[in-house]
Amino acid sequence: MTLILGIESTAHTFGVSVVSSEAPYILSDSRRTYSPRQGGILPREVAPFFSSVAGETVKEALDQAGVRIRDVDAIAVALGPGMGPQLRVGASVARALASYHGKPLVPVNHAVAHVEIARFLTGLRDPIVLYVAGGNTTVVSYSEGRYRVFGETLDMPLGNLLDTFAREAGIAPPYVVGGKHAVDVCSEGGEFIEGMPYIVKGQDSSFSGLLTAALRLLKRGSRLQDICFTLREIAYSSVVEVLERGLAHTGKREVLSTGGVAASELLNEKIESMARLHGATFKPIPSKYSGDNGVMIALTGLAAYLWGQRVDPSKAFIRQRWRIDQVDIPWYFEFPPLEG
Amino acid sequence: MASQEEIVSWVKSLTLVKRGAESEIRLGVFMGIPAVFKLRVLKPYMHPKLAQTLVAQRTRKEAKVIGHALKNNIPAPRLLAVFPSAGLIIMEYVEGPTLKDLAFKDLERSLKLSREAGIILAKLHKAGIAHGDPTTSNYIAAQEGGLKLIDYGLAEFTEDVEERAVDIHLYRRAVESTHAGIANMMFKEFLEGYREVMEADAKTVIQRAEDIRMRGRYVEERRKTVWGPLK
Repeated sequence: MTLILGIESTAHTFGVSVVSSEAPYILSDSRRTYSPRQGGILPREVAPFFSSVAGETVKEALDQAGVRIRDVDAIAVALGPGMGPQLRVGASVARALASYHGKPLVPVNHAVAHVEIARFLTGLRDPIVLYVAGGNTTVVSYSEGRYRVFGETLDMPLGNLLDTFAREAGIAPPYVVGGKHAVDVCSEGGEFIEGMPYIVKGQDSSFSGLLTAALRLLKRGSRLQDICFTLREIAYSSVVEVLERGLAHTGKREVLSTGGVAASELLNEKIESMARLHGATFKPIPSKYSGDNGVMIALTGLAAYLWGQRVDPSKAFIRQRWRIDQVDIPWYFEFPPLEG
Repeated sequence: MASQEEIVSWVKSLTLVKRGAESEIRLGVFMGIPAVFKLRVLKPYMHPKLAQTLVAQRTRKEAKVIGHALKNNIPAPRLLAVFPSAGLIIMEYVEGPTLKDLAFKDLERSLKLSREAGIILAKLHKAGIAHGDPTTSNYIAAQEGGLKLIDYGLAEFTEDVEERAVDIHLYRRAVESTHAGIANMMFKEFLEGYREVMEADAKTVIQRAEDIRMRGRYVEERRKTVWGPLK
C-alpha cells in the first residue's frame, strides 16, 4: 500500500488530502477556500490566508485519514500553473514536511491533476478533455507520452469571463453559491440577444470581445438576465465547438470535462448533446471534485511517485506558467495505479 | 422559381457523399452543371438563434472567400448559388483525381502538380486569404487540365504570418502522412512553387512553419495518421 499526502494551493483553495493505492483510495479531503468580501482574488490577500490555515488543514487531512505523517510515503504538491504568492505557500509547506520528515517530494502539475481526477472518477480511460476553470480553458488529449493541447483560449479563461462580468454587474462576490455561479443564477428567465460576438478561430476560442460587448449592453441598460443568458450561451457553445473539433480530429471515443466551470449543468448538457451527435461517451465529473482540491494532487502524486517522479526540496521551485504539455505521463494507460 | 425551403428539401434528397463536423456534402446537377451541394448543419447543442446565425455567417463568408479567390484568378470551384440562411452553397463539381490519389500513381506528374499547389497557395495568400486546410485531398487535378484548390470552409481573410504558416505546415503534414517515401520531394517542389510567387515574403512564412512543426503538437498528429489513431 502506498499513501500520498497532496497539497493544492494554486488559486483560492488550500486543499490537503491523503490518498491510498488501496480502496477506499480517497482517505481525506480537507479544504479552506478564500472568498473575497468584495472584488476579485488578490494574491497578496490570499497568500496570508493560506499561511494561516495551512497547519490546521494538513492536520485535519491526516486526522480524517486516520494516519500520521510518518505513515505517508511521499508528499505531492502542485507547483503550478497558478498564482505565485499562493503557490509559494503550498510549496513551502510541502518542502518543509518533506525535508523534516525525510519524505520524497513529488511535483504535480495542477492541470494534469484536474484531468487525472476526472479520469479516476468517471472511469473513462482515453478521453478528449475540456479543462475549463477560472484560470484555464483548454482542450487536451493524450498522445505519445503527454497531454497535448488541441485548442485553448486566445485571451481570457472562461471562468474569468464569468467572474469579471458578474463583478462588474454587481452580482458577485460571492461568485458561486450552492454550486451555481452568479451568472447562472441571473440567466434565469433570460432571452437570447442577437449580435453578440461568437469567436472560434480554428481550434481556439476568444472571450475578451464578448466581455466588452456584454459590459457595453449593461451600460446601455439592457436587461441583466438577457445579457447573462446570452453571455453564458455563447461562451459555453464556443468551448463545446472547440471540443467537438478536437473530438473529430483526434478520433477519440470518450469526452470529459473538468475544472471549476465543469460543475455547470448547462455546460454538461451541451457536451452531452455534442458527444451524442458523434456517438462518443461523455460522463460528467462529480461537481464536488470539478474545482480545485487536494485529492487530485494526491492522486496524481500517487501515480507520479510510483513512476519515479521526484524533485529535490531545494529545487522545488514554483512554475506559474507550467503548461500541461510539458509533463510526461508515463502512467497514462495504467492509471489509476490501484491495488486490490 | 422554387422557394428556399423547396430547394433545401430537394438537396436533402440527393445522395450524401460526406458528413463532416461542419456540413453535409451531396452531389447532383444544378441548372445542367454537375454540382457539389454543401449544407451546413445547425449545432444541436447551441441556442437555435445562435446556431442559425453561425450557419448563415459562415456560409456567407465561405462564399465571399471563394468569390474573392476567383476574382484573383485562383483556381477555386465556381459558385453556382448561395443561400446563407439555409446554410447552402452550390458550386461546380470539379471532376478529377485528388493530388493525394495521384501521388500514388504518377510520381512525375504529382511532383509537377505539387509545385503548382505551392503556386496556388501563394496566390491565395497574396490575395489576403489563408485556406485553413490545404491538404493533398483538397487539390483536384481537374479534367480540363490544371490543379484546383477546393473546400474553403475554414478559410479566413488574413495576412497573418501564423495563419499562412499553418497552411504550409498542413500541406507538409499531409504529404508526410500519406506519401512518406516521396514526401521530401513533394514538399520541396511545393515550397519552390510557393517561393516563386511569394518572393521575399516566403522566407518568414516558411521559417514560421518550421517553428510550428517544432512546437510538437502537430508532429504528434502526423505520426498518428501514419500508424492509425493511438489507443
